[in-house]
Amino acid sequence: MEKLNVLVCDDDTAIVDALEIYLKQEGYGVTKAYTGSQALQALTEHEIHLILLDIMMPEMDGLSATIRIREDRNIPIIIISAKSEDTDKIAGLNFGADDYVTKPFNPLELMARVKSQMRRYTALGSIALKNGILKTGGLELDREGKEVRVDGEIIRLTPIEYGIVVFLMEHLGHVFSIAQIYEQVWNEPSYSAENTVAVHIRRIREKIEINPGEPKYLKVVWGIGYKIEKY
Amino acid sequence: MDIKSRNISYSSGVKLLAIIIVWLGFLGTIGGCLFLLQNHGIASLSSYTETYSFQSNFSRLLYNTVEYHVALKSEDNIKDSAEDPQTEAENLQRLHRIENRFPTMVNFVYYVQNTETGETWTNINSETTDPIQFIQKQPAAAFFNGWTSDSSIPITENVADMLAGGPIEIYAAVAEPLQPGDVFYDDYMDYTQAQSDTNLASILTILSFFLMAAAFIYLIYVAGRREADGEIVPALIDRMYSDVHTILVFIAAFLSLLMVGSLSFNTSADLPILIAIAVILSLDIFIGLSYVLSMARQIKTGQIITNTLIYKVIAGTNAFMRLAFQGKVFKIWILLFLLGYALINGLLFMVCREVYYGHVNGLYVLSILILLGFDAGMLYLTAKSLAALAKIMEAAKQISAGNLDYPLDSSLMPVSFASFAEDISSLQGGLKHAVDIALKGERMKTDLITNVSHDLKTPLTSIVNYVDLLQKENLENETAAEYVNILEEKAYRMKQLIEDLVEASKASSGNLAAAGEKVNLQELIMQACGEYAEKIQQAQLDLHVQNTDEAVVIWADGKHMWRIAENLLSNVIKYSMPHSRVYIDIASDNGYGSFTIKNMSAFPLNISPEQLTERFVRGDESRSTDGSGLGLSIAQSLTGLQGGEFQLEIDGDLFKVTVALPLWAEE
Repeated sequence: MEKLNVLVCDDDTAIVDALEIYLKQEGYGVTKAYTGSQALQALTEHEIHLILLDIMMPEMDGLSATIRIREDRNIPIIIISAKSEDTDKIAGLNFGADDYVTKPFNPLELMARVKSQMRRYTALGSIALKNGILKTGGLELDREGKEVRVDGEIIRLTPIEYGIVVFLMEHLGHVFSIAQIYEQVWNEPSYSAENTVAVHIRRIREKIEINPGEPKYLKVVWGIGYKIEKY
Repeated sequence: MDIKSRNISYSSGVKLLAIIIVWLGFLGTIGGCLFLLQNHGIASLSSYTETYSFQSNFSRLLYNTVEYHVALKSEDNIKDSAEDPQTEAENLQRLHRIENRFPTMVNFVYYVQNTETGETWTNINSETTDPIQFIQKQPAAAFFNGWTSDSSIPITENVADMLAGGPIEIYAAVAEPLQPGDVFYDDYMDYTQAQSDTNLASILTILSFFLMAAAFIYLIYVAGRREADGEIVPALIDRMYSDVHTILVFIAAFLSLLMVGSLSFNTSADLPILIAIAVILSLDIFIGLSYVLSMARQIKTGQIITNTLIYKVIAGTNAFMRLAFQGKVFKIWILLFLLGYALINGLLFMVCREVYYGHVNGLYVLSILILLGFDAGMLYLTAKSLAALAKIMEAAKQISAGNLDYPLDSSLMPVSFASFAEDISSLQGGLKHAVDIALKGERMKTDLITNVSHDLKTPLTSIVNYVDLLQKENLENETAAEYVNILEEKAYRMKQLIEDLVEASKASSGNLAAAGEKVNLQELIMQACGEYAEKIQQAQLDLHVQNTDEAVVIWADGKHMWRIAENLLSNVIKYSMPHSRVYIDIASDNGYGSFTIKNMSAFPLNISPEQLTERFVRGDESRSTDGSGLGLSIAQSLTGLQGGEFQLEIDGDLFKVTVALPLWAEE
């Protein structure tokens, strides 16, 4: 299989070098750039399958570069930025980035996100969806095979956890309270408030999310309940 | 010595003495002057011969002499020439009376001669002296004949009639030195006595006057001073307005003069009257002296003008006028306006009444209409003013409540209120400006912290990455591996610190938006406990949640609430004593939904709750455990941001924190 290439673009050379090491350990080819315009230039010269892009860079910033890239390419773009505000994240994602990672990032988490994006970009498009499969983003529920997959990888869940995922996947985007989830999954009325459901949800997140603290799929709506995001 | 004598000269004893000198000197001067005035007639004459008494006696004796020697002559002559017995009797009686008087003429000398007959009559011993020569030597000598008189003593008409055209010549004089025994001698002695008395009185008067003047000048000089060049010390009486003082003194002087005048004119100078006059004059001199000295002190202090009632009244009026007409505090014309309004209204009413009783119906209606129209206009103006005032009051209330953008339009207000409204507006502007500056400063601080944090994060990323890479290297040296682990731990702590710092700065400066939504507090606590279930278990804590039966729904931002719960729970896990129980109570009362977390601290909390919520302050103060120390501060700021209340209590090792937020109200 042809080597997949990642374009790493950051004005801090140390970060670029470190990322090169990590990416090469994962078996990716690496192209390095230090400004937004260099990144655009590299895209024309090399075959690139994923871009790691900083925002605050000289010559051309990451957001402008994202807009330019999105004009004719749909390769995955992961923004890595020191800007951690919600507004920055929303702006980055709205301009066409696929993911947003704040500095200082956990290198393992970043690699997981790279792999996830890479799988979706290279493989998922070609996989024909079977009947009875519910899908949101990279999260798939195969009710016939009783399997849950994230970016194609099978996740091992307990029966209760599986039940919760099924209930929430069947109602993508809907928020359910602890009591509602308990009644649906355990099939018995919830008398007293228990944190059993919350504990289970936490465990599910740890299994299906790259960063359980910032979940992509199974989200907590604080003081209201839980939902699985619809993508 | 010099200083001592000077101090003595300013002592109150000397002053008292000077006052007494002025008093006595004044009485002496006045008394002397009165005496001199009374004896003016005698004192002004150069000789006793000029006295009225001398002259009248002299001319009486002269008349007697002439009458005796020229008119009556002798009993025979009277009997011969008498026309009727009655005249004869009268002339005889007269003759005898004059004859009896002659022996009393001790000092009066005369020489009468008839130039035709050569007859002479004299009481001078003509054998020893020549009578004419003797008489002419005397100072008070007189010569008369029918035609001329050579005398300072006026000749009476009777004498002149008797001598008229006749040949009689008379030489008369008072012979000196005077011998005792007649009226001339007595008069002379009286005159001499009076002269010497007058001289003494003059000397005494002048002496009194100069003593008084000297003492007076001294008193004026030392008035108000306790020592030489000392400060002027006003006396109690100086507080009296000087013009009022002056008027009172003049009234007192006038009254006393009236009294003295009436006393001295009514009766002759008896001793009680004299004493009464002296007492009144003494009172006068004391009043006058105190007045003059008071004026002297006030002139010295320069208050003589300012300490007058007139000045005070003028100054007060000026101030009042300024306040009334220039200041915007109080408009006197409003008062005048009210008075004018009442006056016009009264006049109009009277006109109406007059017209009504005059039964002029058309005019009656007209005048009523004018009255109503006038009052309606006034009512409109008053209502307009009151409306303006109400607007201003509302604006002031809004501004004081913090609504600095409350619009206050002064364009439609009456002039007097418009300026007031403008003042309120400018006050509002100033306040707003100050608040804006404060907000701007706070925002700049947050921006600075945010920017610095961005710059810190980039190198930190490299540190985290390379530490991780180092860990993956096969480090033979175990110590080196241990060091790398420490580096990793500290790098993550630094990451946490930077994030907390940014968040704390945003939360405390209010630069964080709070999206108000329905939040079920029980759900939130369960979710949070679920998130922390494993860690709580690891920390060997026993968690007890006390729930209410009914749902507690608050109005809050779910993400902020989670952050608060997260910070508090991570504190609980970090600082609680292992194997202790942790209680979370959910409650709702007074429009607030709250949760309270209670736990036992593993370390003594020798710190106040206030210090605990201060940034970078932590209970253990050692900062050895992970965390930034900003957790409580952030939780407090976020609670405040959502309109809630954050309460910390420390009771020994019991740590209790209550977060209360407004309950959701269906609108």
